[in-house]
Amino acid sequence: MAWIAERRRQSRFEAVVLPHLDAGFALARWLARNDADAADIVQEACLRAFRYFDSYREGDAKSWLLKIVRRTSYDWLERNRPAEVVPLELEGDPDGSVHSPPAGARDADALLESRSDLRRLDVLIESLPPPLREAIVLRELQELDYRQIAEVTGVPIGTVMSRLHRARAALRRAWDGKGCG
Amino acid sequence: MECDEVRPRLDAYLDGELPETERVPLRGHLQDCPDCGPEAAALERLRDDIRRSAPVHRAPEALRSQIRFALRREAAASRPSASLRAPGWLAYAASILLAVAVGSGGTFLLVGERQTDTMAGEIIDSHLRSLLGSHLTDVASSDQHTVKPWFAGRTDLSPPTVELRSEGFPLVGGRLDLIAGKPVPALVYKRREHVINLFVLPASPADHGETLTRRGYNLRHWDEGDLGFWTVTDAAPSELAEFERLFRAATKG
Repeated sequence: MAWIAERRRQSRFEAVVLPHLDAGFALARWLARNDADAADIVQEACLRAFRYFDSYREGDAKSWLLKIVRRTSYDWLERNRPAEVVPLELEGDPDGSVHSPPAGARDADALLESRSDLRRLDVLIESLPPPLREAIVLRELQELDYRQIAEVTGVPIGTVMSRLHRARAALRRAWDGKGCG
Repeated sequence: MECDEVRPRLDAYLDGELPETERVPLRGHLQDCPDCGPEAAALERLRDDIRRSAPVHRAPEALRSQIRFALRREAAASRPSASLRAPGWLAYAASILLAVAVGSGGTFLLVGERQTDTMAGEIIDSHLRSLLGSHLTDVASSDQHTVKPWFAGRTDLSPPTVELRSEGFPLVGGRLDLIAGKPVPALVYKRREHVINLFVLPASPADHGETLTRRGYNLRHWDEGDLGFWTVTDAAPSELAEFERLFRAATKG
């Protein structure tokens, strides 16, 4: 009875995934930077997740959903705002070390300094390049650990560390510099 | 530990990702070092500022229901048309029941309330599904203290659960079912060889009190507080009414 199976699947999906809808919406909102687009993205992501639901294994449902929301966000941005999706500059340290100087932080700095409305921390975060922004949002606001962030963003843990470091360095320079901290 | 070892580890230290063996010497260094200590404090301040001042974005309530709706449509798209849903023999059996019911004259009680009819249809569908496969119960137990806790965390409706074996309605178990697309608790009782499904939903203004007969099945509906109860069975209407009386008396106690 395929349709019974399908309804059961739907109800299981809702029980597993919908509790993390706020987290998914928040991530999409930080990436798209407005409520209406975030809502479109999250709905699309949920339908995608539902289609892939058979590939979900018991475990970290939040990371699983966030991974799909993130992917959907970038697909959506590529379709609707291609100018925003520029590849992050080459991220050195493939060995995962964070010793090398944060080259990307300088780009982020330049971006932050080019804006005049950067008196609010949330605006500063929104101004970060998406890879740094998502790292800081997942860590500080969703409180994921490094392993989960690596899983959601599809990069090694070393890259997560270096992105967090660069995001914080850029935020501190802009934030502390304004003397609003 | 020296400054040049400490700096690259500061983020991981504050994020609680440093192994114990590195955490202890690093903490010692922070207490002593006039450069690294304030650096760590500044990072911590930034974290506090972010967590305190960044807006908390929550999914709008409308989005939640929109998504549920889209999921239902998606799930429905993968199933054949309604007329093909029931297997042939079931449709056949139902048509005979219908003919018998109509033929016996007036067994069908026509109720104008569209809401009641829609709900009755859903309830009977669920009742039939439960009888068809091997899925009468998710938790098979005649112990009310096993059945009731099973629902905790699976649905936000907590069904009052009572044992009515001595009254001739033994509890068989419980399961999670779908009514109008929402997971709801269903309790399963028996009357001799007849199954009685009892669904617990939010209270609703649908008709109360009368026994409805639809497609050869008898249904009753009542509200208690903010919960609505629907029973369905192929046992006789008088037995269903008796079950309701006993269940309500026992749960009030």
